[in-house]
Amino acid sequence: MSAKMYRSQQRMVAGVCGGLAEHLGIRVGVVRAVMVGACFFFGAGLVFYGWLWLLVPLAGDRTSSAGTLLDDDGNPRLKLFRPAQGAVVEDNTTTRRQRIPVGFREVLIGGALVIAAIAIFGGQQGWALRLGTLIPLLVIILGAVLAWMQLDNTRRVGLLNAAKMNTPMAMLRLGGGVALVIAGVLVIVAGSGSWALMWTSVVASLAVLAGVGLVLAPWALKFWREFQEERAGRIRETERAEIAAHLHDSVLQTLALIQKSASSPADVTRLARAQERELREWIYQDSAHSTGALVERVKAVCAEAEDLHGHAVEVVAVGDAELGERGNALVQAVREAVLNGVRHGGTTVSVYIEAGAQGVDVFVKDRGPGFDVATVPADRLGVRESVVGRMQRNGGTAEIISSADGTEVRLHLPHEKPATEEAK
Amino acid sequence: MTAAPTPIRVVIVDDHAIFRSGLKADLAPDIAVLAEAATVEEAIAAVAAHQPDVVLLDVHLPGGRGQGGREVIAGSAAQLATTKFLALSVSDSAEDVVSVIRAGARGYVTKSISGAEISDAVRRVAGGDAVFSPRLAGFVLDAFGTAEVAVEDELDKLSARELEVMRLIARGYSYKEVAKALFISIKTVETHVSAVLRKLQLSSRHELTRWAADRRLL
Repeated sequence: MSAKMYRSQQRMVAGVCGGLAEHLGIRVGVVRAVMVGACFFFGAGLVFYGWLWLLVPLAGDRTSSAGTLLDDDGNPRLKLFRPAQGAVVEDNTTTRRQRIPVGFREVLIGGALVIAAIAIFGGQQGWALRLGTLIPLLVIILGAVLAWMQLDNTRRVGLLNAAKMNTPMAMLRLGGGVALVIAGVLVIVAGSGSWALMWTSVVASLAVLAGVGLVLAPWALKFWREFQEERAGRIRETERAEIAAHLHDSVLQTLALIQKSASSPADVTRLARAQERELREWIYQDSAHSTGALVERVKAVCAEAEDLHGHAVEVVAVGDAELGERGNALVQAVREAVLNGVRHGGTTVSVYIEAGAQGVDVFVKDRGPGFDVATVPADRLGVRESVVGRMQRNGGTAEIISSADGTEVRLHLPHEKPATEEAK
Repeated sequence: MTAAPTPIRVVIVDDHAIFRSGLKADLAPDIAVLAEAATVEEAIAAVAAHQPDVVLLDVHLPGGRGQGGREVIAGSAAQLATTKFLALSVSDSAEDVVSVIRAGARGYVTKSISGAEISDAVRRVAGGDAVFSPRLAGFVLDAFGTAEVAVEDELDKLSARELEVMRLIARGYSYKEVAKALFISIKTVETHVSAVLRKLQLSSRHELTRWAADRRLL
């Protein structure tokens, strides 16, 4: 027996019997049988069922009503609102969507059967049950059930995700329910009196409703606002928790490292750059380029060079491309060029990638003292072999322009299939 | 260089006091900081009160309707003829950068820029030119496309020369180096860059402010 009663997720109609069974520690079948049996005692079962349906929260509701319900473990919200939770909620709604029609149909059939039974039973007892009152009553009940089902849905999902509440289907259901109730009441009233009387009574009741509405509207508005504020607050808190977790894992650790290595400016710069890069990736991950292979890989090798030598490598990319084996060669050549830049240039290195219709161009520029390309000793494989040779073997070109203002490595890799003859 | 004989009057708008004081210390002596502001409201008031030559404007600012630097520019529309805005940001997001440019900023530089470079950028903006960082040039190339395409509106495409200039800036070239590489004068480079800035501000192509999101579809 559980301390608190919740409606079951594995339900036929609204999960009342399942929840009750769990709460009392009895088998579900027994509870259902009792409930159905109780229906024949002047509908007591039905009333009881409806009452529980309205008052008992659904098992999944625990999270949404966490504002008032503090959970068993110490800090509930931090854990409850981890992103994974969203997925669970999403799941619930989808399963529910599939389940509703089934449950609803059963309610309809069951309700019709019960009404028919009552009608037959009443007929035998000699009650003068007229179809004229029975059908409107039925319509009212149907409408109420429709609207309440909506309420049920709203209560569960809405707290977590208000956007869902305004789905056309939900509005349709609510509106349909209300319309049915009103129609039923009207028919009953019309059935018992003249049309003239009905109109006056309609006007009178509308006036009363409007008056009550006027009085209650500010309250409703206030409650709605409070609810919205609370929800917004909770969302903020969730985000805050997520950000706090991330900052703790990354920034705080880096700051600790920086304090430890405060005596070495190179280390501090490197740590700061690495952290900056990581943070940027995290912040701008949504607006980042589609993760096409080339840019991503060039960025990775630039990050590596940055970490190795502590000089900033700024990557600017226009377009992106998917390159296979030849892409590897290009990335390796870029890596070599960038490493040369940070090693010998000793300044910020700018990398510009442009993937266009002609092919891919990569420019690596540093502002170091430069060197004379012609006088590079033959044993220095870096430039000659890893950059120029590698590009040429893969059908591309490499150019190195160096002056006192810096060095620029220009790599060009044309697209493979078309127009190999017009190699630049 | 376009350095004015009288000091360039500047207002610094940034919500981080540490950054403001650091920037103030970094600026060259021919740039006089008149005032500092930390929020949108303060910034609009300071710009109106001091009528500076240049406003160094952080893209992300508290206050106002939450639109940061854009809102400051919009709120200072009356001064836009005499006061130039230079956007400063740590942001990499194309949307942030392009939106503040389209609001009317004359340039965009990252906050990690050195004191000498930023002083240079301030002088340039004060002289009526545009300041493009490599990243902004990259955004421009990405937005307008790098290929020669036929479009109806001249505002919607960059000329071949403008493309070349943008490419070189994206590659990390300074204006001087661009001029040297293309065998044109610095003045011509500045003209091209200003033209690109104007197109960036006026073109309706791809609804550029939203283009950061759109471009993922490209």
